Amino acid sequence: MSSETGFDPELYKRFPTTEARPEGELEQLEEVWCGPRRPWEWITAINNNYIGVYYVGAAMLFFVLAGVLALLMRTQLALPMTGFLAQETYNQIFTMHGTVMMFLFAVPAVEALGVLLLPQMLGARDLPFPRLSAYAFWAYLVGGLCFFASLFFGLAPNGGWFMYPPLTSTTYSPGINADFWLLGIGFIEISAIAGAIEIIVGVLKTRAPGMTLDKLPIFAWAMLIFACMIIIAFPSIILSTLLLELERALGWPFFDAAKGGDPMLWQHLFWFFGHPEVYIIFLPAAGAMSTLIPAVAQTKLVGYRLVVLAMLATGFISFGVWAHHMFTTGMPQISINYFSAASMAVSVPAGVQVFAWIATLAAGKMRFNTPGLFAVGGLVIFVMGGLTGVMVAMVPFDWQAHDSYFIVAHLHYVLIGGMVFPLFAAIYYWTPMSSSRPLSERWGKWIFWLMFVGHNLTFMPMHLTGLMGMPRRVYTYLPDRGWDLPNMISTVGSFMFGLAVLLWVVDMVRNFRPFGNKDAGNVFGGPGLEWLPSGRYSLRSVPVIKSLYPVWDQPDLARDVEAGRYFLPGAPRGERETMITSPINAEPQYLQRMPRPSSWYVWGAIFTAGFFLILTIQAYLVSVISGVLAIYCILKWCWGLDRPSGPATVDVGGGVRLPTYVSGPSSHGWWAMVITLIVSGMVAIMACFSYVFLWSRRPDLWQAPPEIGSLPLTLGLLAAAGVGAWASQGALKLDRPRSAGIAAVLMLAATLAAGGAFAAEASAWWNSGLRPDASSQGATVYALLAWQGTFVGISLLMGPFVLLRWLCGLVSSRYPATFEVVALFVAFTAVQGAATTLLIRLFPGVGA
Amino acid sequence: MGFRTTGEAMGRRVTVGALALALCACVDKADLPRPMVQADPVAGLAVIEEVGCAACHKIPGVAWPEGRSGSNLAGFGARPLIAGRLPNQPDVLIRWLIDAPSMDPGTAMPPMPLTQDQARDVAAYLYTLDED
Amino acid sequence: MLDPAGPFAGPIQTVAWVLFVMAAVVMVVVLVALGVALFGPRKWKRRVGGERLIWIAGLVFPVVVLTGLLIYGLTTTARVADAPKPGEMRVRVTGEMWWWRVAYLDGQGREIVQDANEVHIPAGQPVVFELESADVIHSFWVPRLGGKTDMIPGRRNFMRLQADAPGTYGGQCAEYCGGPHALMGLVVVAHAPADYAAWLARQSRPAAAVPSAQGPLALIDQGRNVFAASGCAACHTIRGTEANGLAGPDLTHVGSRQTLGAGILPNNQGTMAGWISDSQSLKPGNRMPSYAVLSGQDVRAVAAYLESLK
Repeated sequence: MSSETGFDPELYKRFPTTEARPEGELEQLEEVWCGPRRPWEWITAINNNYIGVYYVGAAMLFFVLAGVLALLMRTQLALPMTGFLAQETYNQIFTMHGTVMMFLFAVPAVEALGVLLLPQMLGARDLPFPRLSAYAFWAYLVGGLCFFASLFFGLAPNGGWFMYPPLTSTTYSPGINADFWLLGIGFIEISAIAGAIEIIVGVLKTRAPGMTLDKLPIFAWAMLIFACMIIIAFPSIILSTLLLELERALGWPFFDAAKGGDPMLWQHLFWFFGHPEVYIIFLPAAGAMSTLIPAVAQTKLVGYRLVVLAMLATGFISFGVWAHHMFTTGMPQISINYFSAASMAVSVPAGVQVFAWIATLAAGKMRFNTPGLFAVGGLVIFVMGGLTGVMVAMVPFDWQAHDSYFIVAHLHYVLIGGMVFPLFAAIYYWTPMSSSRPLSERWGKWIFWLMFVGHNLTFMPMHLTGLMGMPRRVYTYLPDRGWDLPNMISTVGSFMFGLAVLLWVVDMVRNFRPFGNKDAGNVFGGPGLEWLPSGRYSLRSVPVIKSLYPVWDQPDLARDVEAGRYFLPGAPRGERETMITSPINAEPQYLQRMPRPSSWYVWGAIFTAGFFLILTIQAYLVSVISGVLAIYCILKWCWGLDRPSGPATVDVGGGVRLPTYVSGPSSHGWWAMVITLIVSGMVAIMACFSYVFLWSRRPDLWQAPPEIGSLPLTLGLLAAAGVGAWASQGALKLDRPRSAGIAAVLMLAATLAAGGAFAAEASAWWNSGLRPDASSQGATVYALLAWQGTFVGISLLMGPFVLLRWLCGLVSSRYPATFEVVALFVAFTAVQGAATTLLIRLFPGVGA
Repeated sequence: MGFRTTGEAMGRRVTVGALALALCACVDKADLPRPMVQADPVAGLAVIEEVGCAACHKIPGVAWPEGRSGSNLAGFGARPLIAGRLPNQPDVLIRWLIDAPSMDPGTAMPPMPLTQDQARDVAAYLYTLDED
Repeated sequence: MLDPAGPFAGPIQTVAWVLFVMAAVVMVVVLVALGVALFGPRKWKRRVGGERLIWIAGLVFPVVVLTGLLIYGLTTTARVADAPKPGEMRVRVTGEMWWWRVAYLDGQGREIVQDANEVHIPAGQPVVFELESADVIHSFWVPRLGGKTDMIPGRRNFMRLQADAPGTYGGQCAEYCGGPHALMGLVVVAHAPADYAAWLARQSRPAAAVPSAQGPLALIDQGRNVFAASGCAACHTIRGTEANGLAGPDLTHVGSRQTLGAGILPNNQGTMAGWISDSQSLKPGNRMPSYAVLSGQDVRAVAAYLESLK
């Protein structure tokens, strides 16, 4: 095995160590990682053992809430033309059901599972950015609850979960209902992206030594692909919500056909996110299935590499199928054919996974415990959903089935079979890891059968009602169409499903006891690191991994780990810390200091959520105050970052010494910034696509760009900003007496240059007479400018921020991480500014 | 299959009608207010749905619509008067159903496209509507 | 779609049956494999429990099946959705919240006559539908005649439908369009070709009130006056009269339609009176206000007038 980082693999042979551990080491570790002791510390807690459980709990809360909405709908639809729910109420409820299930349950639930399980599976003490996890969680919880509460005031969105304009434009949705959706979802997505960054860096950088990519647990593979897909897909929904909100609030015509906009732009942007979204939800759940089926069958997963390849293929292909939601929109035949083919292709990797699970069950011996039942039940349901998926991928069939109850049936089969059943399997399987008592097997079997039968009773008849012509999203139907009986059966089934969930809640209340110092242990005989004995600090020591199934294949592992005979058996600096390893071979690189609980990120999250939600009810002053407070809290949080202390290297066990500070591409912060910038770049790319798309619809509306003579000024200033930022971090590294000051001033100058470039470009466009509300060109040009302006604004916060750090004596050539990260950001801002400027100036042609 | 116009697919309505009748019958079978021979209340309900009486009247046994322009016909069988001015007798009701304006020029109820037999069946159904 | 009535619905049903058979076969394959995996004798299990199963059943089998389906699907698509040719009969249907504006076009694409919520076509020949929207996205769907096509503001989509036999075919808006989307229906009436020509000729004439026993002349006149005095003409057109509003459905021949309120109520004086006086209780949120200011006799008169417009 060649080394990736220069780390000598021979060093692994020192483990397990044989010498006795020093007195008091374990006690110190326990003290450092202690849980909440005072009531408010439950809120400021950041250990993933806490945040992960909160996160899963909140997601399940939204699952139950959205499920209650489903039962209300089924009650309304049990009989034709009933008056149980008013039309407007029903329209709000079905919109909220879809929205809450997709955005507040499904994505957060799998992300939560990742936050809870990954550090355990990877042998890390915690994820690399615990405060970011906490921030993402609190923003999600506060925002999600407020968003849900809009239902109680009759202000909930009512445009369907994909919110097609122009129905959702101010003309046809004048109330603030749609704004709730846009702003609420917008920041929930931001919290999802924060979680994705956490997961990518976590999987790539915090694995146990020796856990090379081909020994990476399949669930971690799934989460890695999941998070990468979020990074690529979610910018699209962020952009589309921004554009629609701009159209609603300021009248910028992105989707208004009268001024050159096009409702189809929304559909492209939404489904470019919306279809990968389905696989974003499915992949982690499939990863959980691939993890727990081997445990259930007590054998290794058949075709591990094939399954990983299948998941990768799913990730790639899923970005090429978005328009299969638009077969009825009159797209050109050639596009329809392509998307039909791609939609069928995406079912192949799903088939590979299904048969890998079946082969695994055959290779071992299935034990019919609750996780096993849920896994097999989910498999059967998912296959049925996949088959109806192939059916609707056939264009002529889709012309009939589209937007009918057939689709409702299809998507519930896919999502419930592909995600809900695996999630319940996962909950039953992993509860013994977090809770001191496992969930009841007897109850679990009842719950499974009720849910399985209830699901099929509910959704099987919907295939038929759809083919009989019942469209989706109808609050009622006329009595004479023969739809009554299947609808009644569906309603009965849905209450059965509801009963199952209720029983599960009771089971949780009876048996789920998290946060204790003892857990129930490896009840199901699982093979992963998460089943090693652990405390709040996770593993006592981080083992060297030699197998994909370490608990099965390394017999003395539990004993040695618990005795501290591996890496990092204590807290060498007396602080929370975890080991950062290299992305491919997981070779130890350095020891990361982890934060202690504080409250800034919680307040930051609350004020962020507050900013968006108060903005929705148009209390602008309060909203701005909340926004400023959010920025203050976040800056305060940032202020504490990059403050190294203690010795430059420490012994992490076996005499292996690791540095305590690293910057550049080895460091976790650098990775996080690069991923953030990829997100931002994706938003900019999608915005550029929107610009070109709208031009192609109405080239006649395009007016000439500003005089070409003003272009060099913008580009020159942007170049200065980029070069300045790069020079700044370079200057810092020189380690001369004044390099810190020079670096700070250079950085400030770079941000000012970026600001100047933005001002020059914006005023050039304004002086050219183009107005954002006049045409689709105006709208997209100013949208691109506004996006760039946001980055310039953040840069302008960062300039004084680094200057202030220098003035406070916090800048040192030995610790350049902050400067590197800020330089990356400012340089990105410059490049993004140059690219978008060139597009809007030179396309579709100078003076066109 | 799919959409069918209101004229078709009577089967289910008849079931509902029978159900409604059965319910009414439970209340007091012996004392239907104005028993009508040779009239079929089940057919009457079907006619009611076909013609759309419920566009103006809330009628027990008809799920939709629930019009509010005319009076609520729940308990119609027990009422002494039609439209507050005519005696509630079968022959009067039948005439009223077919051509209300001829009996009360001020009424909003237009003449309805019903044959004598249809009107008789409708009347029979309305007389099954006892108080609650 | 389970009971196709034309050449653009028929092939789709065939596709559907092929797909159902495919799905059933694959489901059986999966269930058998799963059954063997869970309960099978050891010898069988050993055959299933290896990577070979994944290669054969998870990769080769689906690729073959899907390729076949795809080729079949693409040829059907091409057959059903052919670009409109000049000389074909055209009807323009415009989706409005929550009804359908229907315009019959001549060979040059000019509008001959307008109507609402009911599309009359000659049986036995393809008709090109030009689909547009006046406000939000709607979707035009007559399940027994063919698939659905969206109506998108700023765009014009085409769809071809044909009814093989005279008859009435129901349809419904399939894209959620807010409010009473559930109550946005329509009716397609197919005539024998000769009857269709007669219908179109009749429809092209301006409005002519036809008195009847149920709608005597005096009442019709009263209704016409009330119609004019109540401002109905601000939204509705009755060709041949001063009523020329464009916001609502054309009422020139409203008495000849089969349904009221966009396919939701039978059409007679009674339902018409109910609709005029309280359309909001019948179709909550629709754009026509309930006319609670009219006396009973006035409502009845307007209903008689409108129903006389055959």
